[in-house]
Amino acid sequence: MEDAEFDRLLKICRLRLSSSERTAIKSDVKEILKYFDTIEKVDTGSLKPAYHPVAIEGRLREDRVEPFDHSDLLLKGTKTHRFYVVGPDV
Amino acid sequence: MKNLGEIKDLNQRLHFFSAINDSAKDAARFSVKDNICVKGFEARAGSKILSGYVPPFDATCVERMAKKGYNFIGKTVMDEFGFGSFGVNTDVQARNPFDEKRVAGGSSSGAAVATAVLKDHIAISESTGGSISNPASFCGVVGFTPTYGTVSRYGLIDYANSLDKIGLMARSSEEIRKAFDIIRGADRYDTTCTENGITDSKKKKLVVIDQLMHGIDDGILASFEALLAKLEGMGYKVERTSLDFIDKAIPAYYIISMAEASTNLAKYTGYKYGRQLDAFTKKYNEFFTEAREVFGMEAKRRIVLGTFVRSASVKERYYTKALKVRALLANKLSELMKDAFVISPTMPIMAPKIDEAAELPPLQAYAMDSLTIPPNLTGLPHVSFPYDYLKGMPVGAQLVTTHFNDYALLDFVGKWEKSFDYKFKYNL
Amino acid sequence: MKIGLEVHVAIPTKSKLFCACSTSADEPNSSICPICMGFPGSKPMLNKAAIEYALSVSAALHCKTGKATSFVRKVYFYPDLPKSYQITQLQDAIGFGGYVELEKKKIGIRRIQLEEDPAKIIREDNYTLIDFNRSGVPLLEIVTEPDIASQDELREFVNELRSILYYLGFDIEREIKADLNISVADARVEVKNVNGIRNLVDAAQHEIRRQEDLHSKKQKIVAETRSYNEKTLRTESSREKESDEEYGFIYEPDLTVYQIKPKKLAKPIYAGIIARELAGGTGQLKKTVLDLIQFDSRALELFEHARGKWPLQSIINVVEVLNKYGAKDIGMAHFEKLLDVARAGTPISKQVLEQVKKGVKVEISEVSSAEVDREIKEIIRKNSHLLKEYEKNPKVFNFIVGDVAKKLKANPKEVSERLRGILEKGFKG
Repeated sequence: MEDAEFDRLLKICRLRLSSSERTAIKSDVKEILKYFDTIEKVDTGSLKPAYHPVAIEGRLREDRVEPFDHSDLLLKGTKTHRFYVVGPDV
Repeated sequence: MKNLGEIKDLNQRLHFFSAINDSAKDAARFSVKDNICVKGFEARAGSKILSGYVPPFDATCVERMAKKGYNFIGKTVMDEFGFGSFGVNTDVQARNPFDEKRVAGGSSSGAAVATAVLKDHIAISESTGGSISNPASFCGVVGFTPTYGTVSRYGLIDYANSLDKIGLMARSSEEIRKAFDIIRGADRYDTTCTENGITDSKKKKLVVIDQLMHGIDDGILASFEALLAKLEGMGYKVERTSLDFIDKAIPAYYIISMAEASTNLAKYTGYKYGRQLDAFTKKYNEFFTEAREVFGMEAKRRIVLGTFVRSASVKERYYTKALKVRALLANKLSELMKDAFVISPTMPIMAPKIDEAAELPPLQAYAMDSLTIPPNLTGLPHVSFPYDYLKGMPVGAQLVTTHFNDYALLDFVGKWEKSFDYKFKYNL
Repeated sequence: MKIGLEVHVAIPTKSKLFCACSTSADEPNSSICPICMGFPGSKPMLNKAAIEYALSVSAALHCKTGKATSFVRKVYFYPDLPKSYQITQLQDAIGFGGYVELEKKKIGIRRIQLEEDPAKIIREDNYTLIDFNRSGVPLLEIVTEPDIASQDELREFVNELRSILYYLGFDIEREIKADLNISVADARVEVKNVNGIRNLVDAAQHEIRRQEDLHSKKQKIVAETRSYNEKTLRTESSREKESDEEYGFIYEPDLTVYQIKPKKLAKPIYAGIIARELAGGTGQLKKTVLDLIQFDSRALELFEHARGKWPLQSIINVVEVLNKYGAKDIGMAHFEKLLDVARAGTPISKQVLEQVKKGVKVEISEVSSAEVDREIKEIIRKNSHLLKEYEKNPKVFNFIVGDVAKKLKANPKEVSERLRGILEKGFKG
């Protein structure tokens, strides 16, 4: 993985690394991806991807309103202003 | 609790609880891994980014245990978000009660230690790639990981949603069975949790997969052969077989788990819960990046890798291919286990020293999960049970069966327990 | 020129897409829970009604539906997105390969998918305020093929689509949100996040002009993402936040694959087609009918009730009057009475309307044109001098009208029209 590609990846992840973290993770990533590449050789034939390990029948929720009992606790540790949650600038 | 003081003192040394419920009653105690929500108790999942997150709700399993009269006694420490095999990837590192210089295993390190030092206690823990089997084996307790989707994940702070399974640790299969019957079963709050009938289809054959026996510590290998001989004496038939691609379960597992983890960890951005920044005048990208600086090394590594393997241009090659490997392995293992259990040691090594474990390069650390990953990747139920003590340290074996045949595992361990003496250093 | 659209509309469920919070709330952050706030430990629970609405729309837009539907995570960072990923759909979307029929052509529908709305974000000087009430409201994203070839078609398409949605129970008062794809030459330009039809058409107009300008000057049109500035009436290049590469879609592992079972769906109503049938063509008359029924189910009911039994113009007249006086809830018996009045050529005043509603007999409405004609001719025959006087004194005309109207209790305007007609045909008595 090139430097530019690695930097682009960090940006997408919203991660900033110290220079020692950067050196370590960059070389780990290279090595681990090489390891990941080994699955290419497994003959999976025409198998479909297993998104879950077991088959699960999808269940649906009836369209009923049930207010959350403890909504006062949801914003307890959050900075608010006139009932709004304060967020960073955009 | 009468011995609350003693527990707190021991916790000072072994670091298994991140929080203790001072008002808990004595009998029928249960602890909860710190990535599972208990209303009113901080849930950090071993991460600094969740400092101060006090969930306003109980996980379904916690609610069900409390309803049946079990008493919540504390939150148990773990590797950050479950990212680790030795309990060292976090700020509070649990110590093994059999040798305090050694790790307790991971990621449910605190749960295993708590089980090894407390009597009348059940630990609710969680496994993604082996986080129950591994510490259970290092700490000499029974660790049970049910079939994927049998226990509701509502209230579980996600690592990798298609792999995460809430399970149990205890000092006997009997206690596990009781608690399992309480926490399992469909839950409207977790769509992936189903009401499947759990079976008890007993097997007389034990299959050992050759490829899994590579790279195992000699002492463990010898004692495991002795275990097989004893089991043959009990009437089981042991067979050896080959499954040549089973080592590819490890990369497939890490691809899927990292891909999912990198999406789960995206939500930690420093203004809604947990770590709160006050720098609102900063642009959001800068603000989020600053908030996310406190992730540990392993978390950062997995976010980067997980984000990469699901990028559109390489997704087929990594993410999708890994999902196909999972499908293939599930088919092959299920076929193999039609009339047999798969058995292996739980871990390829004895519990390492804490400083050694912390120094392990990531790929070597990942390789330590070689025995626990196959059933975890495929959602197959498995149990780790102690069968021997080598130089004073417990060793465990792992038994795997087909989907939803969970009771058969507990039945097997129950029979084994009749001729095995558990050893514990503490009985608080 | 090719225009494609991605339209986002709110699905009118009572509760949100993945939790039981209400979709309507006033005070900020009053309809929230751990799920729509993305709290660690919470999991989504899919709303059945949202799937049903989506399937109805899919069928109404002639889309094909697979045997099953599933969801994906689309990862991007923005303060209005609580989980930093949006649960949306991709390969197993609700519907695909459909169309919307316009007057002269069909606009292809590529895909219809369900997704969750992000929170509402208000930009302050140097921070933001976030209201999570909107977070998790179910949205339907409708993606068209680039089949739209002009602004008129764009407007026609959006209105026809809104009409179909309106008749399936959607709230069309809520502003439509859309992304536009426009290519005048080869390069495809995306104009993101345009709100409201007017802005949509304006944005398209300005972007088309911009691209045509560049094209005629043989300058390069850059394939990029732009945004529409309502104040400057221009589209502006915006640095794109994320592309498919970065979204890193993965299957949503907290949900499952949902089998789609055949089910009786709400019957779609195509106002454009109905208006064309009623008007028997596509001219101004069709437009008049369409304007009345496109977003008005009661008006459509009235039209359907009277269809074939009264002249179209009478129906139009009555419905327009009822619209004017906010009286469309009138009973069918009264409505029929009004149609009779209209057919007789009598304009319906507020007074007439009140009379009909009170059940008072509107005598005028009983007078047929034939009766008026007969009476006029009768008067002229009896008073042959009138015709001669009429040539000198136009007031005679009014005298005849007044006399007939009084006698028959008919509308003077109607009588004068009939009289003029009779005179013009050279009636000599």
